[in-house]
Amino acid sequence: MTGVWVNQIVQGILLGGLYAMFALGLSLSAGVMRFINIAHGDLIVLVCFLVLTLTTSLGLSPLVAAAITLPVVFAGGYLLQRLLLQRVLGQHVLPVILVTFGLSIIIQNALQGTYGADTRKVQGGVIEYATIHVAGEINVGVLPLVIFVSAILMVWLLDRLLYRTRIGARIRAVSDDVAAANLIGLPSPHIFALAMGFVGVTIAISAGFMSVWTNFDPTSGPSRLLIAFEAVVLGGLGSLWGTLIGGIILGVAQAVGGQFDAAWQVLAGHIVFLIIFALRPQGLFPRY
Amino acid sequence: MSANPLLKIDGLSVYYGKFRALLDVSIDVGEGEIVSIIGANGAGKSSLLKAIVGQVPKVEGDIRFEGQSLVGRGTPDIVKQGVALVPEGRRLFPSLTVEENRTLGWETGRRGGMSREDIYGFFPVLKERRNQPANQLSGGQQQMVAFGRALLADPKLLLCDEISLGLAPVIIDELYKILPDIRDRGVSILLIEQDIGRSLAVADRFYCMLEGKVNLSGKPDEVSRDDVIKSYFGGHE
Amino acid sequence: MKPTILLGRLALIAGVIFLIAAPAFLSLRGMQLTTEFMSLLVLAMMWNLLAGYADIVTVGQHAFVGIGAYAFFGFLVLLGVDPYLSVLLAGVVSLIFAIPVMGLIFRLRAGYLAVGSWVVAETLMLAAGKLSAFGGGSGKSMPVSFVKSFGASTPDRYANVYWLAFALLAAAFLSTWYLLRSRIGVGLTAMRDDEEGAGAIGVNLRRARVLCFLWVAPFLGMAGAIITMQKLRVAPPASFSILDWTVYIIFIVVIGGVGSFEGPIIGTIVFFLIREFLNDLGVWHLIILGVISIGVILVEPKGIWGLLRRFVPGDLIPVGHKPRR
Repeated sequence: MTGVWVNQIVQGILLGGLYAMFALGLSLSAGVMRFINIAHGDLIVLVCFLVLTLTTSLGLSPLVAAAITLPVVFAGGYLLQRLLLQRVLGQHVLPVILVTFGLSIIIQNALQGTYGADTRKVQGGVIEYATIHVAGEINVGVLPLVIFVSAILMVWLLDRLLYRTRIGARIRAVSDDVAAANLIGLPSPHIFALAMGFVGVTIAISAGFMSVWTNFDPTSGPSRLLIAFEAVVLGGLGSLWGTLIGGIILGVAQAVGGQFDAAWQVLAGHIVFLIIFALRPQGLFPRY
Repeated sequence: MSANPLLKIDGLSVYYGKFRALLDVSIDVGEGEIVSIIGANGAGKSSLLKAIVGQVPKVEGDIRFEGQSLVGRGTPDIVKQGVALVPEGRRLFPSLTVEENRTLGWETGRRGGMSREDIYGFFPVLKERRNQPANQLSGGQQQMVAFGRALLADPKLLLCDEISLGLAPVIIDELYKILPDIRDRGVSILLIEQDIGRSLAVADRFYCMLEGKVNLSGKPDEVSRDDVIKSYFGGHE
Repeated sequence: MKPTILLGRLALIAGVIFLIAAPAFLSLRGMQLTTEFMSLLVLAMMWNLLAGYADIVTVGQHAFVGIGAYAFFGFLVLLGVDPYLSVLLAGVVSLIFAIPVMGLIFRLRAGYLAVGSWVVAETLMLAAGKLSAFGGGSGKSMPVSFVKSFGASTPDRYANVYWLAFALLAAAFLSTWYLLRSRIGVGLTAMRDDEEGAGAIGVNLRRARVLCFLWVAPFLGMAGAIITMQKLRVAPPASFSILDWTVYIIFIVVIGGVGSFEGPIIGTIVFFLIREFLNDLGVWHLIILGVISIGVILVEPKGIWGLLRRFVPGDLIPVGHKPRR
């Protein structure tokens, strides 16, 4: 019997990898640009549909399709920040919340208008069904394992990018004090836009994996946003490794909750989030 | 005053919305000069520097650097042209190390001239602290990093905004001692200060500002101390 | 009295006369639509009070509408309480829930608060789906005997619900107006315009924000109860509908003009007009609303009223007493 529970926890940890991926981009935009992009989840779903179109209409493999979306989404993130979000960032918090909120509604309904309301999934081939038997009742799917390892790799790479590269130093500079950055001649709108491009890359990668692993429909965005938000807050603002842990906690909470009763899966995640947040509002590993 | 000054500001007015911070200000800085601008809080000194680097919303008049107008150009462009600022309050980036802070200066600037070693020559203490986060340094050391950041941009004109603010007198003396050395490397300096004594001691020429206007200018040893004080506080004749 | 204020008062009086006289000549559908109009206007005024004045931008307003709906249903159907008392109690329950919710989300700022309020709303909606007495995830319809308790015949019921919505709107309008004209409201207006100025007026902003949040909750809850009297059933996704009680409301306020008393009124009128014309367009209806909203924020963040205000010399319904300079 314990084997079943251990297995659920293992599955939850792996699911947490995907959740952490959702959250990385949100963590980056919240940490650097200091705003919460309410359309974050919808952008993930938008890319899922892009991958779906590339695989079904052009017959590409999901991996190739995801690779094609990477530069597209990087450019998309750059332009979104440069042309729209940068214009509403400022002292007042209302405009940027409302613009990203409006964007969220537009994306959801545009997807619904284009693809209909049906639930979709991208066919991933053999990797979807391959499992590794670990011990007893514990079986690990190859795809979830790949996703989990990729999530760790992404956190590591993003951490290197921010703390070991010149563009990373520039991003941290505009994040620390944009007025000072402007005074010494850093092109802050360009740097913010580059950061949003990197956010786009994390969105593309997580969307590529999500489209193969889980079902999605045009209204799946908000639930992805809420999960990403919870992981970011749980981990502590600005801490990428904390975000990974936050994602894992949510994944485990959902998997264990789902083991009690399938209908409790999502609710269990939210409740665990609210409890931990009530006890530790600054998150588990606050950087600031 | 040379015929073709490095920086020539002509009839400059600066607006923040309806508020006018600067009114018809004309100022020159020649090559190899240290020019000081003194004035009380709110006299418009910082607005002047911000206008030079293109960080005010609206200006009237002209700012020429090496004969080219700076008005309407972006700050990155102006810095690349050879103007660097040591901002008021130092404004280091706390999450960056000393080295990263300084490197930003090099990246934004002309990328030549002064090297890292030159800067360590001016401020030896920074070398041993280069991998520490900037916010772990003392105020004086942070000011040195801010200087180093600006100098690595290899400026022809260095703008210094209230470098003595909040620092111990010993440290201020040390910083002021370096200014002539910097000038001797071919960098002109426009210095903004509330501290009249120190500022006039190091300057070749000075301007005194009050309520957004220049009301006195000259060489420190040619103007009487009383006149300076009167202009500074706006005593009415 | 300044001509703009006179004009504003005349428009208000005309509106009140219309709403009082309407039941005499409106069809049942007209009654239903006007009731819905009044409920949405209350929701819009409340969201505007939070987002436009108290700096609390929530995306979780539907939580309290849903709580009100479920509380009303619970008191009326499960406990057999008088329907009108149940409406009031729905407001009380909503207020009680607001206290812990506030304790949680007030630890967050700006966008974090917005999404945090959404998490809370989502959690409450999912939790409501676990209440078997309320039909669980699929919800429950109100038995006919209880429906008859607030109107023996359909026209009676429509009229009763109409007057309830009218009373709620009047209470919300007058009390919010009074709140914004008080010292607290002046402080909030000052905060919105200039954070430092507000400190000078001496209003404790934290307490003002708490007051606003608790102010809003009972109105949302009672609106939820009245909406349930129209729909005659509760169900998690419908009673806690983010689209109806939050998304549309945000569009209404943004388009009408956030941070003004006129904005939500103009926005609700415009919204009903747009809805009558654009409902055939399906998803495009929401896309258009979204695009208009983003356009409004980029062009005139104070919405239609901000646009009109450039040509009108004063507010129609002034709330602050700004000292003359």
